[in-house]
Amino acid sequence: MKDKPYFAVIYMFVVTAFFSTVLIGFSRLTRDRVNANEQLAFERAVLAVFPEIAVESNADIHRIFTDQFAKTPEMGGAYLYYKDREIAGYVIPVEGQGFWAPIKGVVGLALDKRTITGISFYEQSETPGLGARIVEEDFRGQFIGKTISQTDKPIAIKPSSEALRENQVHSITGATQTCIRLEKLINDGLSEWFQSVKPAEEQP
Amino acid sequence: MSPQPSKSTKDLALNGIWRDNPIFRQVLGICSALAVTNVVLNTAVMCTSLTLVTALSCLTVSLLRHWTPRNIRMMVQTLIIAFYVIIVDLMLRAYWPEMSRNLGPYVGLIITNCIIMGRCEAFAGSNPPGSSFVDGFFSGLGYSLILLAISVVREILGMGTVLGFAVPYFSSPYWDKWIIMVMPPGAFFTLACVIWLCRSIKSKEAKP
Amino acid sequence: MSGIGSEMWLALVTCFAAIFTQNILLTTFLGMCPFTSVSREVKTAAGLGGAVVFVMTFTTALNWLAYKYVLIPLELEFFRFILFIIIIAAFVQFVEMVIDRYSPKLYQSLGIFLPLITVNCAILGASLFMVIREYSFIQTIGYGFGAGVGWLLAILAMAGIRTRLNESRVPEGLRGPGITLIIAGLMALAFIGFTGVLN
Repeated sequence: MKDKPYFAVIYMFVVTAFFSTVLIGFSRLTRDRVNANEQLAFERAVLAVFPEIAVESNADIHRIFTDQFAKTPEMGGAYLYYKDREIAGYVIPVEGQGFWAPIKGVVGLALDKRTITGISFYEQSETPGLGARIVEEDFRGQFIGKTISQTDKPIAIKPSSEALRENQVHSITGATQTCIRLEKLINDGLSEWFQSVKPAEEQP
Repeated sequence: MSPQPSKSTKDLALNGIWRDNPIFRQVLGICSALAVTNVVLNTAVMCTSLTLVTALSCLTVSLLRHWTPRNIRMMVQTLIIAFYVIIVDLMLRAYWPEMSRNLGPYVGLIITNCIIMGRCEAFAGSNPPGSSFVDGFFSGLGYSLILLAISVVREILGMGTVLGFAVPYFSSPYWDKWIIMVMPPGAFFTLACVIWLCRSIKSKEAKP
Repeated sequence: MSGIGSEMWLALVTCFAAIFTQNILLTTFLGMCPFTSVSREVKTAAGLGGAVVFVMTFTTALNWLAYKYVLIPLELEFFRFILFIIIIAAFVQFVEMVIDRYSPKLYQSLGIFLPLITVNCAILGASLFMVIREYSFIQTIGYGFGAGVGWLLAILAMAGIRTRLNESRVPEGLRGPGITLIIAGLMALAFIGFTGVLN
């Protein structure tokens, strides 16, 4: 039986079928969780750009997100942040190619549309220990309170030896490439958003 | 291959961790894991996954050894390894999404790790399930220990931390962080030094 | 028209990046096993490297098609690990048969390296990176080719250096893989220098 040539084919088929079935079953079981994780990662990033929001648990994140944030088509794809039923800020999604893979994140703007309230990322695969440090508090915290420049680049990432102006932050040593691309994708995202909201502002 | 006399667990452990350690004896299987050794936590997760996959694949290969036709055994082994790797990948994505994102494609690359295939082929294919599992487990462990050592060195010298906690002196301003250690060349240099060290100790052991 | 033009330009940039700044061997350590064992002679290194370029370009393209048109519609993305390996193995087998049949001369120089390639992690790695980085089809071809050429370049340089190394005195414990890794480290350092070129 075992020496017959067709045995190998049948055997391979049975083994493949068995393992595939188990895998498909397993992935069905975890799919909802994986999708929920992705949604949660995005919501967490959105909340993180407003330091005043206190988050205690994962359940909190979703509740606050649905209560206080809303996406409106008029605002160029940005999420509006409501505090006590008043608009208190804007969340602008930014994304682009990083050094290794796409970086996706959000930038929070205060009502004046110039002051950055925070920045955070929900997807990146930069080098761990180098580029991946963009998600760390040390790096992200620098953006809080910075003002977007209207004459220069909106935001600039400078080497850590240079003194900073109001629209500049320090880069991560050893992750020059990531920082260059990050600067570009943030600026692209912001400029695009300003372009799209301009006409809306001019109307009375 | 002639059936080997059953070895004791202690023997298998010594073989996997020291005498036949896959990395410095055979310099095998570093490809898929070296890239994540600049941060200790990532390395630990990667090594745990790899050890589990090796042990379980060896167990499965051994369980199926009487039925698997010889000419397609490589395909079956690859399939079994891929099966466990996908399970690990899905588990990470479902229960530890941040880590899954950090490790990127490297979890998937465990499939092509020569160590697993090597153990399945050399040991599990002709030994009972129990000792195959132990053999796979300790080969993975021996591999993990070296990679962990590398990652500790790299994280301390490069960032002044271990598992994210600051290490005295190395995290102070007196220590100029060796950024190069976190970058790819650092992995090559550290691994070379580890191999150098282990081989030197070994040749001393063999001489007397 | 300009769409295709910019696509091509992007593919070219991806290709150069894959060769120099993101060299698959020196920055992601993929394909180390054959790298340390086959890099003793320039001739064999060139043969293996050539085979890698060829197989990598075609398999990344094939895998892109399979991923886009088979796995995504079926929502079986996680199955890519198995499917990619099967495609790579089948492709290598197929090429081996074709070469054996039509060009025995090429088979003699390239054929022996083909089976080695199925287990080369760099090949699978390139396909997995291609998925993660969300490349378009043209970019994928550029990337696959570039990654292969990058690997070829690294192994050729290594083989050249190692033939010179035969006459030098290396500490006993470092001989063999140890010194190979140190050289690879120095090469990786040199390749980091290319980073500034591509902006």
